[in-house]
Amino acid sequence: MERRAQWLRGVLDLCVLGALARGESYGYEIAQRLEHGGLGTIAGGTLYPALLRLERLGLLATDWRAGSGGPPRKYYRLSDEGAATLRSAGTDWAAFVGNVNTFLEVP
Amino acid sequence: MTVDDWLAALAAELRRRRVDPAGPVGEAAAHLRDSGRPPLLAFGPPVAYAAAIVDSLRGATLELRRPPSGEVRLRATKITKRYGRSTVLDGVDLSVRAGEVVALIGANGSGKSTMLRICAGLLSPDSGRVELSGTVGYCPQDGGTADFLTADEHFMLVGAGRGSSRAAARAQGRAAAAALDWPGAERAGEARHLSGGTRQKLNLVLGQLGDPDVLLLDEPYQGFDNGTYLDFWQQVWRLRDAGKAIVVVTHRLSELERADTVLDLTPGGPR
Repeated sequence: MERRAQWLRGVLDLCVLGALARGESYGYEIAQRLEHGGLGTIAGGTLYPALLRLERLGLLATDWRAGSGGPPRKYYRLSDEGAATLRSAGTDWAAFVGNVNTFLEVP
Repeated sequence: MTVDDWLAALAAELRRRRVDPAGPVGEAAAHLRDSGRPPLLAFGPPVAYAAAIVDSLRGATLELRRPPSGEVRLRATKITKRYGRSTVLDGVDLSVRAGEVVALIGANGSGKSTMLRICAGLLSPDSGRVELSGTVGYCPQDGGTADFLTADEHFMLVGAGRGSSRAAARAQGRAAAAALDWPGAERAGEARHLSGGTRQKLNLVLGQLGDPDVLLLDEPYQGFDNGTYLDFWQQVWRLRDAGKAIVVVTHRLSELERADTVLDLTPGGPR
């Protein structure tokens, strides 16, 4: 479990970008998407700082909207730059995983 | 800790760090409502979460530092000071404008406190001159308080020396103390019964009494806990925004981004 948490730390921002490539969303729903995708529970204390960082880097655009009957929520969506980052990082990640897999295969 | 308590604590911690709490607190509130999880499990302690948010925003808070634009309030020119054969200050220049915070840094023994005392007029330089425009408040590193006086008595005594009425000095002192997370100053007993950190708060409050135009602060936060330390910088920024010229002697390098200008007194260092 500890190792998984460490892995996730390295790729959480990319997973968030990927989750938002499936459509704009707000914090809790992003956490749900990641959890349903098999990444386990993402604590708010981890998720929101990552979202802030991505927003500051210009990879996410945001706006506050009143929900239907609920409290106002901050919605996030990919900026053009965020989409470009996701594509290039996705390629890098696939290459990296391929290399790791090669080492993990016991000859 | 209830959800409301946790959110209030988070808002206070963010304010202390000069971050507008509205966004992060609103988002955390919505998340807690949606997830139904207890705040300490979802976000951890308010202090740690506030620190994580500030980390994420780092680089986005450049407006803290800005070019000085007010008139020069303090100008020290070619200050030299020797003790016996050792030259502590060798031709040091320092100028501070209204609305500017200067951090005075340097290795131990590089003359930081000496320079500040010369600027305050408490010590004469061997050569060089100090020009001041306006009134001066000085906060020594320690020893600025009297053991057998209460906080209120300090306020009134120092206030009287700066031309304030007793009531005005008391009110100003208590307000400045509250801004340093010391709300009970009026109930405080004699200074000798105060903790080191609280005495230092008193010391710092006394330096600002009478609303001086130039503030000279010599490592004024020793013994402060981290929260008070952040409050201290908030107060410094508030005073700067009110047009004060401020010099802070410090040995903490992490502080430099909080000041507008840095003067390094380390021999051979950049001047």
